[in-house]
Amino acid sequence: MVDAVFLALSVLTIGSAIVALEIRSLIYGSIALMITLSGIAGFFLLLDAPFVAMFQLSVYVGSIAVLILFTVMLVRRELIFNKIEDKRRRYAGIGLMLALMLGIGMIIIGSGMKSMETNSPSVDYKKIGEDFLTYYSPALIVMALILASSVVGALTLARREDITNDQRTD
Amino acid sequence: MSTIAPQFRLSRFIASLFDIIFWVLLIFSLVGLPIVFIVLFYIKMPIINGQMLTPYLAMTWMADPSRTLPIIKTLLHTTFFHVIAFPGFGFAALLAAATIFVERKFLAKIQLRVGPLYCGKIEGILQLMGDGLKLISKEIIIPAKADKPIFWVGPLLFVGTAGALVSLIPVARGWVVANPSVGLLAVFATIGFFPIISVLTAWAANNKWTFIGGLRALHQMIAFEIPLILSLLSVVILTGTLNLSQIAESQQHYWWIVFTPISAIVFFICILAELERIPFDLPEAESEIVAGWLTEFSGMMYGLIQLGTYLKLYAFAGLFTVLFLGGWNGPTVWPAFPADIITHGITIGPVTAKIAGLPLFDQDMLNGTLWFVIKTVGVILLILLPRGVFPRIRIDMLLHTGWYKLIGLAFINIFIALGLLYAGVLGPGGLIQ
Repeated sequence: MVDAVFLALSVLTIGSAIVALEIRSLIYGSIALMITLSGIAGFFLLLDAPFVAMFQLSVYVGSIAVLILFTVMLVRRELIFNKIEDKRRRYAGIGLMLALMLGIGMIIIGSGMKSMETNSPSVDYKKIGEDFLTYYSPALIVMALILASSVVGALTLARREDITNDQRTD
Repeated sequence: MSTIAPQFRLSRFIASLFDIIFWVLLIFSLVGLPIVFIVLFYIKMPIINGQMLTPYLAMTWMADPSRTLPIIKTLLHTTFFHVIAFPGFGFAALLAAATIFVERKFLAKIQLRVGPLYCGKIEGILQLMGDGLKLISKEIIIPAKADKPIFWVGPLLFVGTAGALVSLIPVARGWVVANPSVGLLAVFATIGFFPIISVLTAWAANNKWTFIGGLRALHQMIAFEIPLILSLLSVVILTGTLNLSQIAESQQHYWWIVFTPISAIVFFICILAELERIPFDLPEAESEIVAGWLTEFSGMMYGLIQLGTYLKLYAFAGLFTVLFLGGWNGPTVWPAFPADIITHGITIGPVTAKIAGLPLFDQDMLNGTLWFVIKTVGVILLILLPRGVFPRIRIDMLLHTGWYKLIGLAFINIFIALGLLYAGVLGPGGLIQ
């Protein structure tokens, strides 16, 4: 059962990832990207990590994919993308990807992780929270700083002083 | 006299009924039964009380009510029944359908109109059925330059996502379709799909009104998703769990709305915005952009979107009940099942029928469902009320409310919750348990 689900998820994820790269229509490409990201959430569910899976769904599908969709729909793509049709680049990309996957696969198989434990209890999110506040607290602080600085940066970029807002009455 | 069927003859009608019965029986015995027996070769039959359930055994049980009831009782606890009927789709769709009718009558009464009156003679009670028949029989028109796959799939995805949201709501103790340990996060993840679906279908219809409506829906839902999540965090802080059943269980003595009133208000406003209801109905503002992102839908596709919208309404009202109003908790008002029927059986004249396994639902579950339905219907009416009272607000005011005011308000109650927790008043090991 788990094997069948794993296989189906793998086919779905990798297939839609290839579609996302190859399809002409940008909208369909972003939909395929959403399916890929949802498939990864499915892998997290298989690995008994529902917490991570739900965050994968709500952050990647719910926010980032929406952002990509939004950009693709609103921006005239002739202005930002120019087509480069080059067979050699594609083959080089596929070759590079295969080499990378082989390397990572060798490392993982060599490290002794050969089978997936599917019957273990799911990871408790309270444990994740505790770890974040104790052992991994520097990482949490760094993340908070990065997020705060990116919020400040976004506000700075979005601020425009040349527009006076006369219409607003509230 | 009505002249719907002037050639009507009762004898011919009865004769045609017999004709239909004859043909059904003939086809069933010649085609149906062989198919059943062929299929039975490949299906693993369940074993009940040590006996394998063959078709003959099943028919024997069907003839005897004392043996049928346990079967029905097992059926009531299967996942299939949960998904199709009781805490899942059937129950929610029933409440949603009732909501559509009540909304029309309720708004009419507020605005001194009469509302639907003709259909079904008594206060237009069959209006909804008439509307449904109309929607089913109407033609589905796809715009010529629409992106057909996305346009077709959109309404189905919308209903599916709304159904996923419904499946997470616990109705009574132990009566919930899906009970994940991270239920609230699952709710957040499911909510995130709605803006995608609306903007994609809006884009696929290839119409400027739908696209403007879709972009408005996207803006609005994204803006109100964050205060929605933040407003629920105070409840999570106080209960220390993300499981919706445990959150409802934790409110046996007092409701969380007592301690987190600001969160409840923020959550309620966010519900209105997420559901695109007046005063936040900019995505389908009919006086500005025809019908917003629903403009190009016709026939049953529009019906599906409508069904999904009202399922979503029920799900959010149920979520409000579970998180702030104590869920299924309430005083026991449902009468207990009479004990003599269990011990002595039902006596009708000289015959006494003793029926095993009679209380199909226990008292606790019926009582819980009653309270849940009462509270949820109250919240639904509260959601419907602004439609009769308020005008639509402007989009910049909407975004200002979402991104600025509500987020600030949501944080206030988070700090109140943290204060109560660290002062040792509430929470695990607090003064009030």
